[in-house]
Amino acid sequence: MSDMDAMLTVPFRRLLADIAPPAAVRAAEGCRGVPPMWRDLVASGFLDALVPEDKGGAGLALHDVFALVAATGAVCLPVPFAETMTARALLAARGAALPEDAVVVLAPPSAIIPLAAAATHALVPKDDRIALVALGDVGPDPFGAGGGSVAADAPEVLAVPAGSIDLAVFAAGLTAAKMAGAMARLLEMSVRYANERVQFGRPLGKFQAIQQQLAVMAEQVVSAQVAARIGMAGAHFDPVRVAMAKTRTGEAAHQVVAIAHAVHGAIGVTEEYDLQLLTRRLKQWQLAFGSESYWAGRLGAVRRCAPVDTTADFIRLHLAEMVGAASGEAHARA
Amino acid sequence: MLALIDAFPETALPPEAEALRGEIKAFLAERLAGMSGRDRARTWTGFDRAFSRDLAERGWLGLTLPKEYGGGGRDAFARFVLVEELLAAGAPIAAHWIGDRQSGPLLLHYGTEAQRRKYLPAICRGEIVFCIGMSEPNAGSDLASVRTRAVRDGDGWRLNGSKIWTTYAHQSDAMIALVRTAGTPEDRHNGLSQFLIDLALPGITVRPIRLGTGESDFSEVHFDNVALPADALVGVEGNGWAQVNAELAFERSGPERMYSSLVLLDLWASTLDENADAADIELLGRLVARLGSLRAMSIAITGKLAAGESPLTEAALIKDLGTELEQAIPVGIVDAIGKRPDLACNANLMSTLAFLLQLNHVFSLRGGTREILRGMIARGLGLR
Repeated sequence: MSDMDAMLTVPFRRLLADIAPPAAVRAAEGCRGVPPMWRDLVASGFLDALVPEDKGGAGLALHDVFALVAATGAVCLPVPFAETMTARALLAARGAALPEDAVVVLAPPSAIIPLAAAATHALVPKDDRIALVALGDVGPDPFGAGGGSVAADAPEVLAVPAGSIDLAVFAAGLTAAKMAGAMARLLEMSVRYANERVQFGRPLGKFQAIQQQLAVMAEQVVSAQVAARIGMAGAHFDPVRVAMAKTRTGEAAHQVVAIAHAVHGAIGVTEEYDLQLLTRRLKQWQLAFGSESYWAGRLGAVRRCAPVDTTADFIRLHLAEMVGAASGEAHARA
Repeated sequence: MLALIDAFPETALPPEAEALRGEIKAFLAERLAGMSGRDRARTWTGFDRAFSRDLAERGWLGLTLPKEYGGGGRDAFARFVLVEELLAAGAPIAAHWIGDRQSGPLLLHYGTEAQRRKYLPAICRGEIVFCIGMSEPNAGSDLASVRTRAVRDGDGWRLNGSKIWTTYAHQSDAMIALVRTAGTPEDRHNGLSQFLIDLALPGITVRPIRLGTGESDFSEVHFDNVALPADALVGVEGNGWAQVNAELAFERSGPERMYSSLVLLDLWASTLDENADAADIELLGRLVARLGSLRAMSIAITGKLAAGESPLTEAALIKDLGTELEQAIPVGIVDAIGKRPDLACNANLMSTLAFLLQLNHVFSLRGGTREILRGMIARGLGLR
């Protein structure tokens, strides 16, 4: 276990297990308002993880918090923790600050804004500014998972110059990390179920047809996890890395969800069973902030124009920052 | 938490390894100038002894072998950089491929000092071509059922049987073969041993297998009462299965399991201009995203190999995903080109595409079939 895991990830996962059990996730579904576990998250201090140290935060880099964001996906955390953490850092870097009790979603153009129903505010792009707007009614979420939309006339609270910030990149990068966390959890649940459920006198996991499907699921989960980590690699969100992350997680989600439900059978879609909590959100996240085709289009357009000889060069050069950060860290440890 | 999910830690190529890249790129740009896309697309199945010797002259064969045996004394990361550049450029590397990737490390690990002194410097100089004798006419995926048998004969051994689908046996000088030294095929993993066989010995017949494409990458090899010297045994008698498995992590996790269609991808990408169909740009992006994730996974496994681990399940997982991508590239591109019958396709792109389309089904057979690999992954998940 790395130092970062011991200091950050393990305590955070423990906190989530306490404050966001499946019952709390179910209780928040269909409600408009900030769920009670928000207070615990504020008290935990994790929300300032990305805020620079000289502004009172922990000064962590993006890649340090990947595991936290993935963990919120794995438990279907019904409040926009990752989004608020990101908004706090984004504003702090521009000399602004959120209102103290603001619970924020990122709202670039999107078919749906996940967790809007649990938020008080949204960051939205407005011409050459990023504005914080106060949320009123966010409308229904056809996925029943607390998503919604931001009204065009939502009142502006404050704004900062957008500079090169593309909120869609931020939102998609965080969403890909949550998807990776949720898919890893689906794989665990599916493997456990396959080893427990007996049919024809044997556990499902003894049947080659099931084994082959779960192997495919594992491949997709791992590939998506690695891609999502790339999406949050380095110090800042990068459009090419996020495009890889959201494309790959979006593609993987189809197969992963299908196999999870195939292995579980009908029990998987019932209200009392947790599987559907994850798979309904995965579908919503796949749709949110640009699907795999949207991000593949952006990625392909950058690759087409890139002044490189090979795609291997293209990938290597775009991961250079991540590689630099990681090797610097390895160096420090050595 | 399932261990497999976290088995691909974020791993960086160290700067010492990256430092090799510029020199390799410069050499390949000059040495391979004018080579057709179709020939480049052969990559690690393109056989050219002269090219391998040119690499040897620059110290790029046996990069990971110790200097005392003529090697480069470098780590697995340096070899990753070298191989990545060779594959991306479509260099013809088959003549040294098996010796460099598998036979050299195997002999270093399990060979006697005399075997190391005899063979490793020759591998590093590009003077000896190795092949691997695994499959047999009645033992394909079920490798443990091999029937080729070596029995003790005086100081040495007497070998009888057949190997098939042996890559480039007809161009090779030596084979490292998995054969039975005790028991019967029913004994499965027990009683198997590895031998280093000089293919010039009397009693050996090698017959190339002609493929539908007109090429011959594989051969059939018959052993008719072949007398092997005592020192032909590699490693420990009866330990062959374990030794072969140690090789498989090297065989399955490298960049060659994701870059076999890279030459085609780049050739096609270079034909897309600012008027390109949005669907083509999306396809390009999807393929790049898959490759980006795979490359990071392959580097993670390289880190495990560099640390002396033998990550067999991880290697199976990356090989299955990687060959799936290698197969998807020509499949996607043939559709992208074919949906516009009104546009002319450039001849170089077309011959490269046609070559890979006739071969890509094999990518998930060679080095362990998809179904076998998925069975291994399932076991890694704790399912059987």
